[in-house]
Amino acid sequence: MAPPAQSSRYPSPSQPSGKGEVSDLRLQLRQLAGSRAPGVDDSKRELFKKVISYMTIGIDVSSLFGEMVMCSVTPDIVLKKMCYLYVGNYAKVNPDLALLTINFLQRDCKDQDPMIRGLALRSLSSLRVANLVEYLVGPLGSGLKDNNAYVRTVAVMGAVKLYHISASTCIDADFPATLKHLMLNDSDSQVVVNCLFALQEIWNSESSKSEEATREKEGLISKPFIYYLLNRLREFNEWGQCLVLELVAKYVPSDTNENFDIMNLLEDRLQHANGAVVLATIKVFLQLTLSMADVHQEVYERIKAPLLTLVSSGSPEQSYAVLSHLHLLVMRAPYIFASDYKHFYCQYNEPSYVKKLKLEMLTAVANESNTYEIVTELCEYAANVDVPIARESIRAVGKIALQQYDVNAIVDRLLQFLEMEKDYVTAEALVLVKDLLRKYPQWSHDCIAVVGNISSKNVQEPKAKAALIWMLGEYAQDMDDAPYILESLVENWEEDAPEVRLHLLTAIMKCFFRRPPETQKALGIALAAGVADFHQDVHDRALFYYRLLQYDVSSAERVVNPPKQAVSVFADTQSNEIKDRIFDEFNSLSVVYQKPSYMFTDKDHRGPFEFSDEIGNLTVGVESEHEVPATSVDANETSDLLLSTTEKEETRAMVANGSDYTAPLYDSSSRALPSQGQSELAITSLLGTSDPGPQASMAIDDLLMGLDLTAPPAPASAPPSLKLNARAALDAGSFQRKWRELPVAISQECELSSQGAAALTSAQALLQHMQGNSIQCIASGGQSPNFKFFFFAQKAEEPSVFLVECKINTSTAKAQLNIKAEDQSTSHEFSALFQSALSRFGMS
Amino acid sequence: QTKLLLFPLSSSCSASFHSSGETQIVSEQAIQREETMLQCIFLLSDSGEVMLEKQLTGNRVDRSICVWFWDQLLSHGDSFKQQPVIASPTHYLFQVVREGITFLACTQVEMPPLMAIEFLCRVADVLSDYLEGLNEDVIKDNFIIVYELLDEMMDNGHPLTTEPNILREMIAPPNIVSKMLSVVTGNSSNVSETLPGATSSCVPWRTTDIKYANNEVYVDLVEEMDAIINRDGILVKCEVFGEVQVNSHITGVPDLALSFVNPSVLDDVRFHPCVRYRPWESYQILSFVPPDGQFKLMSYRVRKLKSIPLYVKPQITSDGGSSRISVMVGIRNDPGKAIDSISVQFQLPSCVSSTDLTANHGVVNVLSNKTCIWSIDRIPKDRAPLLSGTLLLENGLDRLHVFPTFQVGFRVQGVALSGLQIDKLELKVIPNRLYKGFRALTRGGQYEVRS
Repeated sequence: MAPPAQSSRYPSPSQPSGKGEVSDLRLQLRQLAGSRAPGVDDSKRELFKKVISYMTIGIDVSSLFGEMVMCSVTPDIVLKKMCYLYVGNYAKVNPDLALLTINFLQRDCKDQDPMIRGLALRSLSSLRVANLVEYLVGPLGSGLKDNNAYVRTVAVMGAVKLYHISASTCIDADFPATLKHLMLNDSDSQVVVNCLFALQEIWNSESSKSEEATREKEGLISKPFIYYLLNRLREFNEWGQCLVLELVAKYVPSDTNENFDIMNLLEDRLQHANGAVVLATIKVFLQLTLSMADVHQEVYERIKAPLLTLVSSGSPEQSYAVLSHLHLLVMRAPYIFASDYKHFYCQYNEPSYVKKLKLEMLTAVANESNTYEIVTELCEYAANVDVPIARESIRAVGKIALQQYDVNAIVDRLLQFLEMEKDYVTAEALVLVKDLLRKYPQWSHDCIAVVGNISSKNVQEPKAKAALIWMLGEYAQDMDDAPYILESLVENWEEDAPEVRLHLLTAIMKCFFRRPPETQKALGIALAAGVADFHQDVHDRALFYYRLLQYDVSSAERVVNPPKQAVSVFADTQSNEIKDRIFDEFNSLSVVYQKPSYMFTDKDHRGPFEFSDEIGNLTVGVESEHEVPATSVDANETSDLLLSTTEKEETRAMVANGSDYTAPLYDSSSRALPSQGQSELAITSLLGTSDPGPQASMAIDDLLMGLDLTAPPAPASAPPSLKLNARAALDAGSFQRKWRELPVAISQECELSSQGAAALTSAQALLQHMQGNSIQCIASGGQSPNFKFFFFAQKAEEPSVFLVECKINTSTAKAQLNIKAEDQSTSHEFSALFQSALSRFGMS
Repeated sequence: QTKLLLFPLSSSCSASFHSSGETQIVSEQAIQREETMLQCIFLLSDSGEVMLEKQLTGNRVDRSICVWFWDQLLSHGDSFKQQPVIASPTHYLFQVVREGITFLACTQVEMPPLMAIEFLCRVADVLSDYLEGLNEDVIKDNFIIVYELLDEMMDNGHPLTTEPNILREMIAPPNIVSKMLSVVTGNSSNVSETLPGATSSCVPWRTTDIKYANNEVYVDLVEEMDAIINRDGILVKCEVFGEVQVNSHITGVPDLALSFVNPSVLDDVRFHPCVRYRPWESYQILSFVPPDGQFKLMSYRVRKLKSIPLYVKPQITSDGGSSRISVMVGIRNDPGKAIDSISVQFQLPSCVSSTDLTANHGVVNVLSNKTCIWSIDRIPKDRAPLLSGTLLLENGLDRLHVFPTFQVGFRVQGVALSGLQIDKLELKVIPNRLYKGFRALTRGGQYEVRS
């Protein structure tokens, strides 16, 4: 598990080797060793202190071992302590000399003073020399029976230490059984906690060898034992409580009443002064309610306040650890934290890693009611001294805009960013405006007016430049000097990054079809430069365009410049599966690293760097395949999100999906392309002539998207009305799982007809009505006037489901809906359908 | 159909437990990791030197990890930018920085990160309490005590006792009294002769036989106000984080009950383990047996406050390569008591090449790292303090693009700005000659005004 400990210890080069001093000390120690003169203890103490201070600063004083042991025959407890410290440090590398210490340590283990007994026993068990274990068993055995709790506490830990030196000795001496007896019967809470710690460790590593140990290990999370610990929980100190709570989180109660009993019992732990106890308690709550969707949500509400308090109190180190956990919960259930958005406002002197987490949370919790304030706040960060945070904030504004709340106000803000005349602000804003336009083409007029004023000379970052060029190509007819700007950009062909050159090619093509006479010259230069380009993708694309134009200009136009369809959903980068894995490891390092522990703690204990390198490569691979990294809003974040190999596939899919940015999907009407076979031929010939690396093939795939018949049919401007499967089926387990995984797509209030409200006397009545509308109920409850329902429905033609939480108050005739959908794009249609079904209730 | 259950969290029914029952074997939930343990603790000076190393388990951690750590630190600029939990090639490292001392802990197994960090914070608190402050010299002078403390605070990587009162009984602090005693008696042992009784007492934070001739108990409300005032002068967020600090010197085992006039203002509370939960839940009364000496009884948060004591009005105008700045400070909502120690601090944007700043009240200092500190102390009766002057920008810049954030410090004695007020402190058994004292204090925390 752990790498072998390095036995050699190097003194730091900056420090003296201390050779002379060490031999000096040796002489002095020898003189004192036999002396019984008064005051000799004081001189010894001074010497010991010197030795240990050398040891502390890293000078090797192990050669004094013999002298130190000789001097240690003394009743003085401070001398003893120093000697124990010294011996503990060097025994392992001097096993022969360690034998010398056994004698006096064993004698001290029988001392009158329990403190000395304890300390001696601790030192004895910390020698960790394999061939001395025989001397340890006796003192440990009597230590475990000592009438002083302090000695027992030490002895219990000694037993684990013994186990790690020689497992068989520990097992043969039957220490586990003794520990188990102590754990269940000792009156001292610290002894009990230490026993628990010791037994967990022993049985855990023993369980791979013996079935009995496996049984014992499982016995630790059995009902009687868990209840025993819970009943004594308040006696334990805070660390003991953490240990017990960790164990309770693994316990699976037999019924829900037990769940509630445990939670009621533990509720006050949420108010403990120690944050570690609070987090451990929260973990128990979350684990206990995993299978109870609604209670799980209530738990979130309950733990919100303690978590927020923990974040704002304590040292920055503590708040960071809590904040990482809060971040996890916010990302899972943003709507619960929507009203607490002010807690995620960044303070001026917070470290940037804290600000980054906060920005992500602010983005996540934005909804209709708080968007305006959140965006106002984020805009203030754009003028922040900390440039990376300023960038992040602008990106956050963009992400919120893409969540489609209050877009109007946000567009204004983004355009203000463009006028701030700071290069990085402009760069980030350009990328966002581009994404916005892809989703909301209706804003093009306002945006283009501002973008047109930006001089391309002031934009240096490839991503931003690519975005600007895309807009120039896309809106060439609205920007008077688009062809000329593009032309000037072509002149500096060599200076730009490959991704910029790719965009330039496409933009000039688009511009050419709209304003041929003005662009022809630039197009010629660009194609020539492109074909001569060293970069494979650029070369291929230029060649492709060239041949396409050669073949038929109007077909080329349909390929390069088809009617566009707005992007509805940008893909998420971190899969739900990974998020769930991290969630299961709540209150662990996984949360801080934002990756499940199997990704960073594996058996061989591979260095995390090695690992992150690998991930880094993978991510880079994805990005270059991506061809236009800015396509997805999250693309620049992929570097910190770790993707497993299986996910790589998903990412590919996403990439393909997002690539309509350069070559948009064909509208189904323009699909019947007469020359299609020919174009495909051209492409296959391209494929045949050059040996496309994965990147090149991706680039071609990208273009193929425009032609490929297998591309998913784009929802046309008038989408077919939503049809539901009348016999949809979903079991409670998958409902709960889906409910947990999916974000709320729509949350709104609607009205019931007065007849409907009157007819709703029992939950059953509505169920039958909704069933008639192909909407099934999975759970219901409450009594007049408050009812709560969970519905689900399934699309007729595919297995995609919709989940609805519906709270109805019959006295106000209002219903509160929370709709989740696997296919977000149809959630509004479904919502309308659901509401109309609901409003018809009681009418017939 | 599954039936919905509402979460009966606040219900008064307490869980009933059966000590006997069928043994339930949980087979799937394999215990994967149990060793919640730290392997080693290092104390580093502010120059990265290892001052102290405490190995906790059989797997020694080589000192070279500190070199790696320090290199990381330097490459990140300063410790402020480094995350408290990082991964080295061989270990996971937790760090807590106090007064320039880095407390570094290493582990190789998955464990609750907050547990490690809380523990390190506790180590720092205990050391600072023992050594009356933390710095390189005091640790180097008393490293034996530090070792002794670490020895009792953690065994085999598992935290044991961190309660200062108990530790103090096992290891005497090196205070002046014991130093004098050692001179007089010649006995400089800093180990007390007896074992603490508390380890087996039912009130683990207190020993049973404490005697005082004069019984005293002091209760302090100490609050910090965090506020954000945005560019438009609007109060965006204002909340108070407060603590109830108690200093108790009472004979025997006193049972105290502290109540507030308006406990409803509290949004969220956290308690010292000595506080009983039920009386608070039912009547908002803090019922407790206090540890001896100074401790933090409760911490709390009050959100959504509307009134802030001070306003700061910055104005910055730019024109032709220089900016004019003026900052005015005044009282916005009078707290009823004098506000003192007022200071305004801000970071000049890096593009400012030189400054000429003056104030009509107080002292203005511009440090070499371009931090400007304006110490006002109290606001004079006759005029509002005003800082004004020009900022000269670097060549080529026409106007400022980055605007400073003004951090405001202040202190109000005698008032808790959250509005929280103590009603009374009662003792079950009243000892002879009891003195009770109450105080309140509010400080500016993260009180910032953006421009």
